[in-house]
Amino acid sequence: MIPGRLTKELARICGRDAVIVDRDRLLVYESDALTAYRHRPGAVVLPRTTEEVRRTVQAVVRHGLPIVPRGAGTGLSGGAVALNGAVVIGTARMNRILAIDAPNRRAVLQPGVINAELSAAAAVYGLYYAPDPSSQTACTIGGNVAENSGGPHCLKYGVTSRYVTGLTVVLADGSVVKAGGQGREAPGYDLAGLFLGSEGCFGIATEIEVGLLPVPEGVRTLLGIFDRIEDAGRAVSDIISAGLLPAAMEIIDGPTIRAVEDSVFAAGYPTDAEAALVIEFDGLEAGLDHEAERATHFCLRAGAREVRSARDEEERLALWKGRKKAFGAMGRIAPDLLVQDATVPRTTLPAILKGISEIGKRYNLIVANVFHAGDGNLHPNILFDRRDRDELERVEHASKEIMQLCVDAGGTITGEHGVGLDKKHHMPLIYGPDELDTMWGIRRVFDPGAVMNPGKVLPEETEPLHANPGQDPASGELVGAPAPA
Amino acid sequence: MSAAADSLAHAVKEQEEGLLNCVHCGFCLPACPTYRRLGDEADSPRGRLHLMRAVVEGRLDPGSEAFQTHIGRCLGCRACEPVCPSGVEYGNLLELARHVGGEARRLSLLTRLLLRVFGTEWLARPAMFAGRAARATGIPALVTRLLAGSAPPRGPRLGLAMLAASGPMRGLRAAPAGSGSPRPGAAARATVGLLTGCVQAGLFSRVNEATARVLEANGYQIVPVDAQGCCGALHAHAGDLEAARAMARRNVEAFEAAGVDYLAMNASGCGAAMAEYGSLLSHDPAMRDRAAAIAGRVRDVSELLAACGPLRGSAVRMKATWDAPCHLVHAQRVSSPPQTVLDAVPELEVLPLAGATECCGGAGIYGLTHPHLGGWIGGDKVRSVVESGADILVTGNPGCMMQIGAGLRLAGSGVPVLHLVELLDESYRRAGLYHGESDHGNGSRP
Amino acid sequence: MNNQALTPESTAETREIVLAARAAGSRLLPAGRRTWPGAGGWTRDGGTTVSTSRLDAVHHYEPADLTLTAGAGIGLDRLARIVGPNRQWLPFDAPGSSAGTLGAAVASGTSGPLRNRYGATRDNVLGLEVVTGDGRSLRIGGRVVKNVAGYDLVRLFTGSRGSLGIITRVSVRLFPIPEADETLLFAGGPSEAVSMARTVCTSEVPVAAAELVEGEEVGADRAMVLAVRLLGGPREVEESRRRIRAALGTEPWRALDDGGSRRFHAARIGWEEGASLVARLAALPDRIDAAVAAARACATRANGAQGSAAITADVLQGLVRVRAALPDFDPTRLAETLATARREMEALGGSLTLSHAPPQVGARVGWTGSRRETAALTDRIKALFDPDSVLAPRCP
Repeated sequence: MIPGRLTKELARICGRDAVIVDRDRLLVYESDALTAYRHRPGAVVLPRTTEEVRRTVQAVVRHGLPIVPRGAGTGLSGGAVALNGAVVIGTARMNRILAIDAPNRRAVLQPGVINAELSAAAAVYGLYYAPDPSSQTACTIGGNVAENSGGPHCLKYGVTSRYVTGLTVVLADGSVVKAGGQGREAPGYDLAGLFLGSEGCFGIATEIEVGLLPVPEGVRTLLGIFDRIEDAGRAVSDIISAGLLPAAMEIIDGPTIRAVEDSVFAAGYPTDAEAALVIEFDGLEAGLDHEAERATHFCLRAGAREVRSARDEEERLALWKGRKKAFGAMGRIAPDLLVQDATVPRTTLPAILKGISEIGKRYNLIVANVFHAGDGNLHPNILFDRRDRDELERVEHASKEIMQLCVDAGGTITGEHGVGLDKKHHMPLIYGPDELDTMWGIRRVFDPGAVMNPGKVLPEETEPLHANPGQDPASGELVGAPAPA
Repeated sequence: MSAAADSLAHAVKEQEEGLLNCVHCGFCLPACPTYRRLGDEADSPRGRLHLMRAVVEGRLDPGSEAFQTHIGRCLGCRACEPVCPSGVEYGNLLELARHVGGEARRLSLLTRLLLRVFGTEWLARPAMFAGRAARATGIPALVTRLLAGSAPPRGPRLGLAMLAASGPMRGLRAAPAGSGSPRPGAAARATVGLLTGCVQAGLFSRVNEATARVLEANGYQIVPVDAQGCCGALHAHAGDLEAARAMARRNVEAFEAAGVDYLAMNASGCGAAMAEYGSLLSHDPAMRDRAAAIAGRVRDVSELLAACGPLRGSAVRMKATWDAPCHLVHAQRVSSPPQTVLDAVPELEVLPLAGATECCGGAGIYGLTHPHLGGWIGGDKVRSVVESGADILVTGNPGCMMQIGAGLRLAGSGVPVLHLVELLDESYRRAGLYHGESDHGNGSRP
Repeated sequence: MNNQALTPESTAETREIVLAARAAGSRLLPAGRRTWPGAGGWTRDGGTTVSTSRLDAVHHYEPADLTLTAGAGIGLDRLARIVGPNRQWLPFDAPGSSAGTLGAAVASGTSGPLRNRYGATRDNVLGLEVVTGDGRSLRIGGRVVKNVAGYDLVRLFTGSRGSLGIITRVSVRLFPIPEADETLLFAGGPSEAVSMARTVCTSEVPVAAAELVEGEEVGADRAMVLAVRLLGGPREVEESRRRIRAALGTEPWRALDDGGSRRFHAARIGWEEGASLVARLAALPDRIDAAVAAARACATRANGAQGSAAITADVLQGLVRVRAALPDFDPTRLAETLATARREMEALGGSLTLSHAPPQVGARVGWTGSRRETAALTDRIKALFDPDSVLAPRCP
């Protein structure tokens, strides 16, 4: 609970209906899409403008409470969970597209705009927003900025950071900072780039400028069916080595195929196959058939049993169905699911997959793999039932071993889901004390009082004890910080 | 724990065991009309499911303000179901949650009164008669016209406007009852029992008549089912499950006795409810299988027509736009058959409607119980109809017809609202498919 | 600049140099091969140059992964020779020199016209090893193409111009060399060329890069030439060529295929070499006409009696550059012209920055526009990595 005076103050700033303090109502904000972590916030505030966010931040900080920004709560790392009674600042009402500037292929929007809806709005001009996380029908662009989200098509098009050209950010001290902005060169540190993927620890983005792309004229989608997953991996490598650049390459493995085919989402993949590889090319119609033919050739040469191709949107959706529904389908063969997000060098994929399968066997667990094969971004899903204490323990061990395996292969602990609460204790697997110290330091540059999303990304035990070098009293006061109201 | 809470716990557990459990992914949030407008996750499907689970886990009192408010605020449009990757049967859980909530705290007086009227024949008949009589005086239409555009539609004004909107489109000539003739040369198709319903029978008898005519024209045989009654949908939605089950039993028996191949529905709210009789009566061993069998024969009238490749009528040169009723598109997942039926009307120009699959805010008695939010949602629908540039709005559920029609009238728009079968019926009438009726569409306004 | 450069052979040695300088209170200037054009207001007199030119080993190169890790001192020319046989390349074409080093390219952080197709320099740097101004050696990022673990310090160091640390090792993302590489040159008068550029900007044809260049630089007898670069599969490029011609309603003055196209663009990279004044005018692409006009005014003024000032524009990014040798010039009037151009650009929401200028001009005009609102953050970032200002001055 937050003090009554603060409640009144917040209601004055954002309106009474924008401040939620009823403990029962706050229950629904206790977790994001990773329900393993649950903490009820002290309050939820739903501002509509940069100015309301700024005044909300000032008021909450003045009362000594921490702040957690939240988009649609679709994150998979516990990043939007409010620890220690923090006040959640939700962006659900900041959902306006402020401008679509078609001649310059850019848009300016509020952080609560839903990813897929930006593309829908831009479609009128023949444009779209390229990053397409699997949750794109629900997740917000503000959340994508916080997590630097990827998606199946980032193989060709790159992740969120490539498309965000400018940000307006409210910092913990209530100052409003603008970084970047298309059509303007701002020599100096790439503050917008640094802010991207900072998981709400640096401030709240209240206005986002993004670049848009012309909608590709044509699309070709292929589905290769393989008896051995290594063969699918080799097909991916051969396609890349040949200089082809598909928009997406996604593999789902045998256990996942069977899960999908056993569910109501059956997509018509053969259940005795060990891998299905979805390949998509897009661009001018002229070159697509040629590219698709070459990719088909590489699949068959690598040992594909068959390669299906889609010519229209309906067929295309059918080929994608098994991939898109995999997550939901797995939710239906086991009550609980642990999704990992490691990225490994693409060439190590066959060895890693074998290693993961061995770990699964050793702990007697079903591990089903769905991954962005083109980027080496794996999503091993460990299926379990949390009511089984013994199994729960085995899941923890297996999960740790899989993570270590990926790191040893030159990989990283998270490719697109973010660190959040879930993986912060794995950070020392990839960073030494100096790197972690530096990250603590950078965090304090933006938020000296550690009020923005505390307890996320960096493990507390690595927090350096020495004073923050960035906290120089002479420059401690940010220029542009408005006087307290 | 009360019996009602037990049944919610049972249902939540059953869905978990059936692995239809909510994995909290949030894909439902943008599909939800209340979340989109209010931005509070407690007003989203995921949030409501979380509250239900909290009640089951004993962490939340079903009588609490939070549970009552947010479960009560749900439109029950079920737009969340098609987008759920885990297949959670939300509508089902919502009814149980309302049942639990209703035990913990009595329904509002208005809700109870309305349900009572719909569910009780001797009350419903005079009420509908009074409604028809009032409508016939023209007073509701006049008052609505005078008040158009003055303030957000709510309360008595909305009620009057809805009543006015339930009337037939001006100029639309009603064909004589029972004048449908079988399609020439068409082999007799399946036998069909028509759910006459309470609101349809009361205020929309013309829609029931048109339904019978267009089905017969396409070769279906209509079998009268006299013992039928209200489908119980409104009661189930409000959480009065006992009343709903009683009505369901009565209808199962009535349609069984009639021995029809299909149950034809022209109110998608009723259709969705009857299609789920199996789960509604799943705890009644004597009725379970019989209810499921009847539920399996439920078809929207558009499905029956689309299935036979409907006969084409004569030209209706108008611009129409289609609004998909929630209980048709989300609950029953019927989306293309209405398009097929519209295509059977020559020279009808069908314009796209922005947000066609979003709830109109009618949601049974929602517009009356939640006037502000219902008016907000309804207002958005009206704006989108006006912006579509259509001359007529076509839909498939009497509740939606009244809600949107009332909104259009109050907004000062002259766009009339038609049931899909009314439009097809008019096209058939112009084609001379009915006895003694012929007026080969000469392009004049109907 | 001091000609005596220190050339460490390892990260450890680099660290020792920094620690010693810090202890002695002396100054260091990080550099690669010292072939990169000056860094505008960020250079400073005094201090010992630390060149990473001997940190030039390739540590990791797996062609099928399309990633490479090498010492910061590896030349971009040598890197191209290593990955070329696998039909791969690093599409860095920022103004500079192909003899420049990978580390310098990252430290400068600027991008060239290929940014439109391949992303900016910072989008393709996967990981770095740096020695900070307080003598810590950090490994940030990684060598996989998707990585969101921790705060993105790689982006902070990319473009930090030696002010935070000395980059000692770099991991980058490589790309397959497209099967077809073609450049169409369309010649026209000044306004005609700009109008063609705008047509290309809004066309749906996937153009890899588009530049406006002075006609005489490429031997054309018209004032300006629009160079449209097409990359991709042969059929895609052929179709793009057809559509570009249709969109512009004219035949190209010249069409360069493969080798010709590559040579043309390689030469453009060195366009700023030998200039005493380089100004960058940026605006949204649909205001390229205004930017070109302002740039032309600067060039005319810089020419004085007999100069060879020129402009060039990356039309898809809305960036126009002015280059001048300044054999004789009036500093006061040149500064006035630049200040006027900056005001015009800022009024459009754009900017004018100087990457080269005689000191008296730079001081008078200011190297960049004002960026007051981020100054405090920038100070604190500088203090975090280089508290005693051992390295290059902080970014403006």
